[in-house]
Amino acid sequence: MASVGGEQTESLTLNLTPMLDIFSILVCFLLMSYSTDPVNHDVDTNLELPESATLVNLDEIPAIVVNRKEILVNNKKITSIVNGDVVESDRAQGAIMPLFKELEKLAEMNKKARIKAGVEVKEKLGTLAMEMDKEHRFKLMKRVMLSAQQAEFINFKLLVEKTSD
Amino acid sequence: MSKRKKKKKHEPKAAEAELNIMPFIDIFSMLNVFLLVSATFINIGLIRVQVPFLTNAPPPKDKPKRSLEINVGVEKEQFELETRWTQAPVEEDKQVYKFNKADIEKFHDAMVSLRSKHPEFDKVTVFSEDDVPYKKLVRVLDGIKVRQKDDPVFTEVDKKSGLKKEVDYIYRKVVMGSVVL
Repeated sequence: MASVGGEQTESLTLNLTPMLDIFSILVCFLLMSYSTDPVNHDVDTNLELPESATLVNLDEIPAIVVNRKEILVNNKKITSIVNGDVVESDRAQGAIMPLFKELEKLAEMNKKARIKAGVEVKEKLGTLAMEMDKEHRFKLMKRVMLSAQQAEFINFKLLVEKTSD
Repeated sequence: MSKRKKKKKHEPKAAEAELNIMPFIDIFSMLNVFLLVSATFINIGLIRVQVPFLTNAPPPKDKPKRSLEINVGVEKEQFELETRWTQAPVEEDKQVYKFNKADIEKFHDAMVSLRSKHPEFDKVTVFSEDDVPYKKLVRVLDGIKVRQKDDPVFTEVDKKSGLKKEVDYIYRKVVMGSVVL
């Protein structure tokens, strides 16, 4: 026993400096990469966005999400995707019937909102932001676009993952 | 000398000043947790495209009779750029590209060159095969739309103010020509 011999007891202290170093670096990194964009959106967990060098920033939350398993409109499930295409019962003339119906409702709501706000209503000026998995074929994209076109949405904003180069 | 030594022995020890870093650690921990939870590590961007639509509106009065059609056809393994004039002399031209970096750069240069030569035509129509993956289509759209560092700056007339303004894209209007019933 150290105290028996009359020696002083050693006080053990935890060296916090390395931990502080790590914390400082982590805080700096997070503050640097912190998004200051007006729209902050979390990508659906069931999809991966394609890479693009685009300079245009995200300016609205996507209305349509086409992940590996289903199609969602404003977080509401519309139809399922099996083997990279929508289920046969939901297809109609190359488009997706439930999606068309949902987008038609959305177009009507937008129109009413614009009238209420006093904005001039122009025909076929609907814009949709779309988030789609990078592995999907154009066939599925065409079905979604056709459905939207029939519901008078003709402009699309395709969400992509920005690359530095 | 001995006197001096004696004196030193009796001097009181200087009190060790220690900075209390615990509040500092607390703040850092809280800040870390907040930033980690709220951070979005994927930088999301947009590509604007259009689909064709029918309209009853009369055609624009200032539309030139002889205009340049720029079409891009995308297949699973390759894509092609086709240009032709709507009236004689048609001067049809077709270039085929593969999905590799060098070819995509060549395609992009061709698009920049076309836009520089004919700034009045700002529409590109894209026709894609059904089996083309979305990621490949986006690479082609990038080649058409995204202005790179070394590219010339293009201008457009602002509809509201009527003044010319610099734009950060090559072609404004990209129409997905395959999206028709």
